[in-house]
Amino acid sequence: MKIQMIVREWLFFTIAPCDAAEPWQLGFQDAATPMMQGIIDLHHDIFFFLILILVFVSWILVRALWHFHYKKNPIPQRIVHGTTIEIIRTIFPSIILMFIAIPSFALLYSMDEVVVDPAITIKAIGHQWYRTYEYSDYNSSDEQSLTFDSYMIPEDDPELGQSRLLEVDNRVVVPAKTHIRIIVTSADVLHSWAVPSSGVKCDAVPGRLNQTSILVQREGVYYGQCSEICGTNHAFMPIVVEAVSRKDYGSRVSNQLIPQTGEA
Amino acid sequence: MAAAPSLSEQYSLPKDEKPVESKPAEEAVVETTTEVVSEKTEEAPAAAVEESNEAPAPAVESSEAPVVESSESPVVESSEAPVDDAQTSNEDAAPAAEESSEAPEQEESGSEEAEEIKLETAPADFRFPTTNQTRHCFTRYIEYHRCTAAKGEDAPECDKFAKFYRSLCPGEWIDRWNEQRENGTFPGPL
Ligand SMILES: [Cu+2]
Repeated sequence: MKIQMIVREWLFFTIAPCDAAEPWQLGFQDAATPMMQGIIDLHHDIFFFLILILVFVSWILVRALWHFHYKKNPIPQRIVHGTTIEIIRTIFPSIILMFIAIPSFALLYSMDEVVVDPAITIKAIGHQWYRTYEYSDYNSSDEQSLTFDSYMIPEDDPELGQSRLLEVDNRVVVPAKTHIRIIVTSADVLHSWAVPSSGVKCDAVPGRLNQTSILVQREGVYYGQCSEICGTNHAFMPIVVEAVSRKDYGSRVSNQLIPQTGEA
Repeated sequence: MAAAPSLSEQYSLPKDEKPVESKPAEEAVVETTTEVVSEKTEEAPAAAVEESNEAPAPAVESSEAPVVESSESPVVESSEAPVDDAQTSNEDAAPAAEESSEAPEQEESGSEEAEEIKLETAPADFRFPTTNQTRHCFTRYIEYHRCTAAKGEDAPECDKFAKFYRSLCPGEWIDRWNEQRENGTFPGPL
């Protein structure tokens, strides 16, 4: 019994991914794309100012409470006007806001911009309540398509090491270190395709194709969940992205493609 | 202790595995007949202009416009390409649209030969620079069917448009549009 526990623990710590949420997690998941790295860095940048302001404001607050205590100093000073301090407290916050806005907009526009041509396109189509993925770059007719549905592993079903409510039967396999275009859309209601460690959250809107591009920096398995309330099973349509090396990606795709197309 | 790598160093890809492999132009040369090759040489200056500019901007297009067939290209470069194209004849629309968005990378072919499948897809299109790619897909679909209408059902130079729209459009949409074309209820300019 004890040994089983140890084995289970060991398995858990080695298999458990760092790219899914963990119990009582406060910070971000590890960045897998430059985009997420940028988001984390921006967060830290802004947090610097946040702490600064927090300390300053609480210092003023505590000082005011202390010095104008109703027993010690029942009649406070009645200043109604002070040009210098009014100028300072207008200019200074706007400078701080600028220091926050500049990196923020820089990140926003660099995430938006599609600079390079992607190497593959993956279509993620949201359904109530599962996802369909299409890899159509290798099609030679309208019918042949590497298309599969991705359902969550039911709650009573997961095997040892699988994450509850996060694992799916068919993962999205993508090559690492490759520019990938993801076209997100929906077939019924609004969904959202979101993978925290890749810094992507893209709404799936029926009748519209939203594009987002990612560049996964390291091989691994990344977990995400539907992020737009879409019905009863909103919580049960997770996303699992598996980044593999380019060679493995090539063999995976051609293995899945050949039986379908009937070509050898 | 060595200096910690900067962010850009940390995230830069090794030289040999450059992330971009879209070479629709190159592929077209391989697959097609001599007629297309001669057409390609006409396009060569335009392609060179585009290669020198990593991100295709409107400025690039204006410098490129006189090189390619002078009368049609401005029409295609506008964002309402499919609509405006309807005014020009079908024959002209196809080649003009063809050059509009390629960024050929000829030097890349060496490393890719080893793989079974080629990693390539519809290139980023300056006509559709935003997140919303709905019209990108639709335009590519129309471009393909215009191309086949002008050059014949199996014209090899239309293959890449087929690849592009298949990459971009959900299969369901394609099926629906094909059905609509058969019924004559397709809502776009064909
Ligand atoms: Cu959903």
